Amino acid sequence: MSVIGQATPLLDARRRVDGSLPFVLNLRLPGMLHAKVLRSPYPHARIMRLDPSAAAQMPGVVAVLTGRELAEAPGISHLYGLRQKDQPVLAVDKVRFVGEPVVAVAAETADQAEAALAAIEVEYDPLPAVDGELEACAPGAPLVHDGVAGNMGTHYKLRHGDVEAAFARCDVVLEETYTSPAAQHVTLEPHVTLAQFEAGGLTVHSTSQAPYAVRSALAGIFGLAPERVSVKVGPLGGGYGGKGHLRLEPLVAALAWKTGGRPVRLEATRAEEFVIVTKHPATVRLKTGARRDGTLVAREVDVWWNIGAYMDASHMLTRGGLLRAVGPYRFEAVRGDSYGVYTNRPPAAAFRGAMASQGAWAYESHMDSLAHRLGLDPLALRHKNLLRLDDRWVTGEAMHDAHYAELLDEAVRLLDWQRPLVRAEGALRRGRGMAVMLKSAQTPSRSEARVAVHDDGRATVFTSAVEMGQGAHTILAQIAADSLALPADAVQVVGPDTSVTPFEPVTSGSRTTHMMGGAVQRAAQAVGQELKALGGRRFEVEPSALKLADGQVCMPDGQSASYASLLQWAGQPSLERLGEHKVEGQMDDNSQGIGSAHWHQGAGACEVEVDVETGRLRVTRYAGTSWAGRVVNPVRARAQNQGNIIYGLGPTLFEAMVFDGGQVTNANLSDYLIPSLLDIPPELLTACLESSEPDAEMHGIGEMTLPCVAPAVANALFDATGIRLYDLPLTAERIWRALREQAAQAGAGGKEA
Amino acid sequence: MAFSLHVNGAERVVDAPAHWTLLRALREALGLMGPREACGIGMCGSCTVLLDGRAVSSCLLLTPQAVGRRILTVEGLAGPAGLHPAQQAFLDHNAFQCSFCTPGFIMASVALLGENPHPTDDEIREHLAGNWCRCGAYPEILNAVRALAGRGAATDPPHAR
Repeated sequence: MSVIGQATPLLDARRRVDGSLPFVLNLRLPGMLHAKVLRSPYPHARIMRLDPSAAAQMPGVVAVLTGRELAEAPGISHLYGLRQKDQPVLAVDKVRFVGEPVVAVAAETADQAEAALAAIEVEYDPLPAVDGELEACAPGAPLVHDGVAGNMGTHYKLRHGDVEAAFARCDVVLEETYTSPAAQHVTLEPHVTLAQFEAGGLTVHSTSQAPYAVRSALAGIFGLAPERVSVKVGPLGGGYGGKGHLRLEPLVAALAWKTGGRPVRLEATRAEEFVIVTKHPATVRLKTGARRDGTLVAREVDVWWNIGAYMDASHMLTRGGLLRAVGPYRFEAVRGDSYGVYTNRPPAAAFRGAMASQGAWAYESHMDSLAHRLGLDPLALRHKNLLRLDDRWVTGEAMHDAHYAELLDEAVRLLDWQRPLVRAEGALRRGRGMAVMLKSAQTPSRSEARVAVHDDGRATVFTSAVEMGQGAHTILAQIAADSLALPADAVQVVGPDTSVTPFEPVTSGSRTTHMMGGAVQRAAQAVGQELKALGGRRFEVEPSALKLADGQVCMPDGQSASYASLLQWAGQPSLERLGEHKVEGQMDDNSQGIGSAHWHQGAGACEVEVDVETGRLRVTRYAGTSWAGRVVNPVRARAQNQGNIIYGLGPTLFEAMVFDGGQVTNANLSDYLIPSLLDIPPELLTACLESSEPDAEMHGIGEMTLPCVAPAVANALFDATGIRLYDLPLTAERIWRALREQAAQAGAGGKEA
Repeated sequence: MAFSLHVNGAERVVDAPAHWTLLRALREALGLMGPREACGIGMCGSCTVLLDGRAVSSCLLLTPQAVGRRILTVEGLAGPAGLHPAQQAFLDHNAFQCSFCTPGFIMASVALLGENPHPTDDEIREHLAGNWCRCGAYPEILNAVRALAGRGAATDPPHAR
């Protein structure tokens, strides 16, 4: 029986229940200093005067670093960024968001560092600031970056067919605008980074989802060869996109540079978490034309993404975000424009379900609005238009592996859509809703892994994929074990450590099972070939006649030799090979080409109960489905599917960062709540759909049931009450106000929804 | 300042400033990394320890307030015979993902079952409402605690293969 498909327990499960899992949070280094950061209180201001000298004199303070000192230091490039190096390690002349780092202090204790911050003198000259994505690109808006007209950081286009002509052929045209606010990832483990310069190199321990991106950025800042920078990552206490690509590392490394050799540690407070990274707020305008029979013909999609004050990864995310805002449907013509708009807010970055959440919120809510306008059943309308195998989509590519209808049908079936529903009971109204989505995978992309078999018969996987509770390391051990005919518990996983484990760009976007899994498989298969070659030499048999089974190389006549015995015979302590997995694909400037080597797919269906007296909405039943191709570990897969739905309920129902004058006014976990045990639907059902073909491709499902949560719930709200909301979250207050407005309109003889 | 704290069955002398929370003293002075800080204001439950058998948020107690009380962290649960039943139940039911919240949940569950050996589902949810799991392992956590309460897991959500 293959190891792939088994419910292998998490490799380090015992350490997870005895409290000893080695989070980076736990790491203490000899001589370690503690860092604290003075952050900007203004969303946009010139730094007129900065005098940290009193802080440098405070007890226990070892180093104080300003942006100017770093900018003027020879051999140091103080601006960094994943592609656009527009973000200063510490602000120099200007601050561009509340919370931007201005001065960093390292002291013997955290309390001493904190006390020293109060002694720093700063004078700011406030400048006009912009907050919202539409406001920031309106004519005359203050500029976040000089020379970036209209605060337009990025602009991507999708042009497919003649959309004006196509609209002219439509019977119905519907235009709607949907918004999503900023949200917090709320990893329970905060961002933590330790850095130390020693022996001409830089060593960093960090809660990072992207150790190689950190290595590259730090090498660039300090003018070091990349091999001189070593980035080590432990198991994360949650990531969800918030711990990649570059977070505290440049700042902590710079402070470590200033101390001249002592390690420096920075642990973000929860309040700091709110200004380190956010989910992209977005405004999505959709205009769709259809024929009376429900055939979708034309669509225009304009997305304005609020990227915050610095580019970060938004050059990639707003490009992928355009395709993630169109929808898994056939269209004759589509025009799309995606704008990454700078604002005076903390940088926004990948947030679980990145850009697909904001996109699906819009296009799947919009789909039900269309159904209502056309007088058609929402499921029937979707079935009429969902992409099928080999349909050409709006990028021009043929959609291989298209399972959207199947996923939607399974979600609907799991929910038992035909079950009678008591729609009204006292103050309660009940309804059902559904949604289906697609999300691009990082394309082009590559992953590398090394696999070794040792002379004790055990194996090691060397990977820079990050374990953050999703079970990545366990899955990779299973894949290696499968290729090596070993049990999963004979495989250990090492990494990430850029001085030891090979290249992986980032652990995000649900890439690991497919991309790193592919690299591990190739490396393990190469080791397997070498083991057979060894066996061939040992027993003077053709290697191609040999098989691997149960940790043995087996001969046709039934004899076998263990890997351990073969390696010992050969005098080799271990056999190691590198494997690489690549996917290709390019698009032109009109987003024509290959938008994704593989399209991630998910669906959801739910039932809600709305109390019309309070506006409170409860999701009573939710069914979510995702396409896995081939499930590696069914327990981990279910955990991901369920976890995503629960994660998605937060931004759907109550999670939103509140900004006032650029300040986050709910920067704590009492004013910003996340779902608790009391919020989960009493009935929560999930399924991973797989190919019936043996050896089908394995695909990641790290996000796939999440983007459908908001639109499915909003569609159920509409079904229950006739209320259509266009802005997340669907708070009780918003629902209550909409119900009052609906009643008032009905009373005044206005149109009833 | 030196404080004498009774932690996991032993008297420990803790050298810490009086303004340190119990959570900070446990982690920084005693190296006990089970209790963790995620919110710092007693909302998330990641810092849950037992104080004389009751679940408390150790981020809301000052170190001096814990003097003379019996403190139990997750590190004090396992015995010579192996893991505590609560730890074993969380293992058996895959009741964690990143596991940052897990010690807090385990301690809160131990406290619950100490007071009420056979809680109903509603009682479990109410008692554990102050422990947050961002990864969303709540269904498995409920199953683990139901098992500890002597009841079977709820019908496992169907999972198509």
